Amino acid sequence: MAVLTVRDLTVDLMTGLGALRAVDGVSFSIDPGETVTIIGESGSGKSTTAMALLRLLPDDLAVIGGHAEIAGRDVIGSRRHVAALRGRTVALIPQDPMTALNPIATIGRQMTEAIRLSHRGVSKAQARERVLDLLRAVHLSQPERRLKSYPHQLSGGMLQRVLIAMALSAEADLIVADEPTSALDVTVQAGILDLLLEIQERTGAAMLLITHDLGVARLMSDRVHVMQSGRFVESGAVEDVIDRPQHPYTRKLLAALPKLGSWDDPGTPAVPRPQVMKEGV
Amino acid sequence: MPRYLLKRLLQTVLTAWFTVTVVFVLLRMAPGDPAVNYAPPNPSSEQLAAVRHEFGLDQPVLGQYLTYLQHLLRGDIGESFQFRQSALQVVLDRLPYTITLAVAAIAVTALLAIPLGVWMARRGNTAGELGANIATIAGQSMPDFWIGFVLLIVFAVNLQWFPPSGFTSMSSIVLPCLTIVILQVALVSRLVRREMVTNLNAPYVTIARSRGVSERRLTWRYAFANSSIPVVTALGTRFAAMLNGVVIVEVVFKWPGVGELVVDALERRDFPLIQATVLVTVVLALLVQLLVDMLYPLMDPRVRLQEARR
Repeated sequence: MAVLTVRDLTVDLMTGLGALRAVDGVSFSIDPGETVTIIGESGSGKSTTAMALLRLLPDDLAVIGGHAEIAGRDVIGSRRHVAALRGRTVALIPQDPMTALNPIATIGRQMTEAIRLSHRGVSKAQARERVLDLLRAVHLSQPERRLKSYPHQLSGGMLQRVLIAMALSAEADLIVADEPTSALDVTVQAGILDLLLEIQERTGAAMLLITHDLGVARLMSDRVHVMQSGRFVESGAVEDVIDRPQHPYTRKLLAALPKLGSWDDPGTPAVPRPQVMKEGV
Repeated sequence: MPRYLLKRLLQTVLTAWFTVTVVFVLLRMAPGDPAVNYAPPNPSSEQLAAVRHEFGLDQPVLGQYLTYLQHLLRGDIGESFQFRQSALQVVLDRLPYTITLAVAAIAVTALLAIPLGVWMARRGNTAGELGANIATIAGQSMPDFWIGFVLLIVFAVNLQWFPPSGFTSMSSIVLPCLTIVILQVALVSRLVRREMVTNLNAPYVTIARSRGVSERRLTWRYAFANSSIPVVTALGTRFAAMLNGVVIVEVVFKWPGVGELVVDALERRDFPLIQATVLVTVVLALLVQLLVDMLYPLMDPRVRLQEARR
């Protein structure tokens, strides 16, 4: 049975200019152990889709319609269902690790809190042991020392490892990774992606990945959905979509990727092609 | 930390010195002759000159100032013209009343403004929030002397629930305190709301919500804890300002604090008493500020780091 099923999801965002349909009737599903990626440029509605499914959009700013189930529980009709799923069945890996943790609480305290939320009745000492295990599992150096650190004392890559460890602590069936590497340095990105692959292999969790990066999508996904203006314009296995794109928008996305070529190659334009897909982050 | 403290104490001394200097000069530039108030009725010019000589007012201003500083350094703040006793003692006799009023007012303000501000932040765009919004704007727009008179007429004159003026029993504090609190709650609750809205919408709160952290915990342990620096700063600043004498409120209710004292001293041109009041309240206010600053590292670890680097 699919971990996530979405049918005709719509999201209307209330803006100063009136309602704006950010997500316009998308349908997809994710099976256990599978990674499904929504790819698209800024403003295509991909992050809004993920946040709507987790019900993390404010009620007075977003109206959600359609049907969606996580682990068989309706998440559109009932906000309480979602609250019960959080920290247990679903986990979120956020876009910007630098702003994703409480700035005035230590890493240890925030991780202990996360563990005790998903496993009731765990003692403080047990939770601390578990925190250290998790920090080792995400290959964070000197985990004992990090427990006493505050978020501002860690780098973006280290913080993303902490956040992945928190997501792991929930032992979730579905991990939602919203642009998990876009705020990180290129050199750090590869390490985080490796870690996500490793964790998924170990836990068998399903993953909903949101990205604007075709390289990331190619590496991580089983299936992809290409999103434009709130709709899926092309869907399929990752190899098919990226190697044999059918829709003109997908072709344009692919063409926007900068190509590596010899500097002397007369066929290469002197000016690099503009990177249409660049996120405005 | 000791070095930081030393630096701050030096700053406090310099600020106090600057303030008393300004007050000293302004008093002597202002029109009006103190001697008139302290000489017999219809004084002759000899009698006036005698009073001036007694108070040292016949000296050049610079000479008076140097004498004043010299005395200050010895811990002598001067003798009140009207009470004929140590001005410091007169101020210290009145100070407990002002401190009591200020402590009561700031405590009630915090107890009301924090829950109200948090509630307004959580209830964005509802009728209740709109009502609270209008009430707090009204509260901060009404002049305090007017609020004072209205409370006086309603609760002291018509209903006779509380004494109208002076300090007769503990219930005397209710009306002056309430007058201050109405304005302060309006101001502080709006600050709390603004900080809370910012923090409740911050990514770390959303991400924590995704981990299943309860709304109550998100509100207090996350958003409110992160709003505490500006809120405590505001409360500290307002408390310090109240120690300078909540002048208008004290005058309206004849509350025997330093605010009422200083107005009286100004009318009588009691220079040493005015100077003493200003000096005492400025030092107190600066110490409160210092105390608030020392609380910052407890509220935010990022401040701790900067301190260590300094």
